[in-house]
Amino acid sequence: MLKAINLTKNYNGATALDDLNLNINAGEVFCLLGANGAGKTTTINLFLDFIAPDGGKALIKGFDVAEQPLETKKYLAYIPEQVNLYKNLSGLENLEYFSALAGQDRYTKEDLLGFFDEVGLRREAAENRVSTYSKGMRQKVGIAIALAKRAEALLLDEPTSGLDPKASNEFSELLKKLSGRGCAVLMATHDLFRAKESGTRVGIMRHGRLITELSTDEIGHADLERIYLENMRN
Amino acid sequence: MLIHIIKNEWRNLRADKTLWLVAGLFAVSVAYAMFNGLAWTNFQRQTIAEAAAEDSERYDALKKQIVEYERSAPEKLSRFSDPRDPAAAGRNIGQKYAAMSPAPLASLSIGQSDLLPYYFKISTRSQQTFTANDELENPTNLLAGRFDVAFVVIYLLPLLILVLSYNFLSGEREAGTLPMLLAQPISLRSVVLGKIALRFAVVTVLALGFHPLVFFLIGGGKLLTAEGALLGAVLWAAAIVAYIAFWFALAIAVNAFNWKSATNAIALAAVWLLFVILIPSLTGVLVTSVYPVPSRVEMIGAMRDASSDASARGSQILAKYTEDHPELVQGEYDPNDAAARTYAVQETVDREVQPILAIYDEQLQKQQNLANNLRFLSPAMVMQEALNDISGTGNARYRHFLAQVKIFHAEWQNYFIPRVFQKARVTAATYDAAPRFVWQEENSPAVARRVLFGLLGIIAFTLAAAAFGFSAIRRYSAIGG
Repeated sequence: MLKAINLTKNYNGATALDDLNLNINAGEVFCLLGANGAGKTTTINLFLDFIAPDGGKALIKGFDVAEQPLETKKYLAYIPEQVNLYKNLSGLENLEYFSALAGQDRYTKEDLLGFFDEVGLRREAAENRVSTYSKGMRQKVGIAIALAKRAEALLLDEPTSGLDPKASNEFSELLKKLSGRGCAVLMATHDLFRAKESGTRVGIMRHGRLITELSTDEIGHADLERIYLENMRN
Repeated sequence: MLIHIIKNEWRNLRADKTLWLVAGLFAVSVAYAMFNGLAWTNFQRQTIAEAAAEDSERYDALKKQIVEYERSAPEKLSRFSDPRDPAAAGRNIGQKYAAMSPAPLASLSIGQSDLLPYYFKISTRSQQTFTANDELENPTNLLAGRFDVAFVVIYLLPLLILVLSYNFLSGEREAGTLPMLLAQPISLRSVVLGKIALRFAVVTVLALGFHPLVFFLIGGGKLLTAEGALLGAVLWAAAIVAYIAFWFALAIAVNAFNWKSATNAIALAAVWLLFVILIPSLTGVLVTSVYPVPSRVEMIGAMRDASSDASARGSQILAKYTEDHPELVQGEYDPNDAAARTYAVQETVDREVQPILAIYDEQLQKQQNLANNLRFLSPAMVMQEALNDISGTGNARYRHFLAQVKIFHAEWQNYFIPRVFQKARVTAATYDAAPRFVWQEENSPAVARRVLFGLLGIIAFTLAAAAFGFSAIRRYSAIGG
């Protein structure tokens, strides 16, 4: 579903992403780990066509992102570190707008409120302005947008940073729900615990290179931390 | 797709206090400008009506006096106040007004109508005595003018547009909604198009929405029934729409630079200053320095010299004049006729100062032509010209008026001067048959052509800015930098 082939990006001569090869199938949750500047966000921005690659390509459902950005975005949902919505509008209006842009413009109000239920947002909050929402609530609206859009691939860039443990846990549960429905997930994160909990695979990046790839079934929490730190030291 | 963007944009704009605040300020400005304009045109109309009333009352009194004097003339009656004397009638007591009544839409744009005379008192004197083409030196007066609806449209409407659109893209990026938006299957160009289309619609409704009321007020409770008024109203609306489009195109072009909102605001304010204030003022300065008008003192001096010189040769001139115009005297003439001599001398002086006046007029005409061409440097100048033209307060209509005054003056002279030479007594019938000034309105298709030609200038600016904006926006980044 999500595929990177020799994907490379340079910024002013410095290599931000070096020859990345990645293949994430439907139902998989791939967690990208690594220090700041390791190339995680660059990878996600390349899949979003926010930046153009200097080499290789990013494919979504077989479509080249750089060549057919609008086609690939039909299948894609994006949840950044901060899900920024239109603050003067209600959560419901935001959800309606973003799903309409994605081509899902036939939802009734009840349908939309159904997505609120699904992500665990109170219906009473749906009509409030987003400026009154907590970060956790906004991240949940992000998931609701992905649900409403019927996204087949999900890109997450440190979506749980700054969330309290309970909110973070709820978020992971939603993620599992999505991948359970066959959504391919690529998540950049610093949270090793969360990566082990909700990920099916993890990849460790350093200086733009993907240096290790692991399956989360094969390792424990302590192993993951040890392997991560070892990789950072070299 | 576009419809979703437009709908969402409307929700956002509606929820923002800025729109209501600027809309309120705009409405107040328009109301005040409207009041100003109506006050001025009402004053003009009233003055013209008073002049006409004064004319006919004076004529009635003169005719009554004639009857009275025929019965018994006062002993010490000066010939200058004798209504039966053709020289007195044509030159003093029988003078008539020639007035240009304000056009139907005059209250919208006062233009220079508060600087230039809109009526003259015509006599048999030299034309110079009533239509000295004075130079209007102050470019601020020339190009700024009063607080009228045209002022609100030209100066304030762009600010309204800029307030609503300086950050239409940069603001989304700064709020972080742009990445969310561009993660959807829509192009940035559609986003720009949708956001600008909605703003354009809102501003157009705001700018034109009050016009039916305005036209109602101008039409005195009826919606524009005067001839040419409807065409004027349509042109007026078209000009405003073109001008609005220009400022939105600029906002697109500036937003395409990937700058911060604050930088956009400063850049757009600078562009506003350039187009609306600087270029018009500099054009005024340039025009007067390229084609300076000769000193007025010199001109008056030359006229004095010519006149005193000619007066000294008065009898000679009269003799020559009667020779040249035998039809005036039918062979006989009185060399001591002071009134006849006055006209003979006047005619000579007019002829002698003609070259000096011609330079004067020519320079003014050149200034006018240059300013007319340079107006394409700034849409604000094109707009001022167009709005003045539509309102009938522009230069063209004024020249049209002066030309009619000139013709009327000639008719007036031709009516009275031969009577002076022939010493024909003026009777009530003479007064009744004296030429009347009937204002001929400008041909409105010609006005429309001029206005539309000007608007092409604005449209060219708009297309250039929009083309640049839409092409540069390809490099716009959702995530900044």
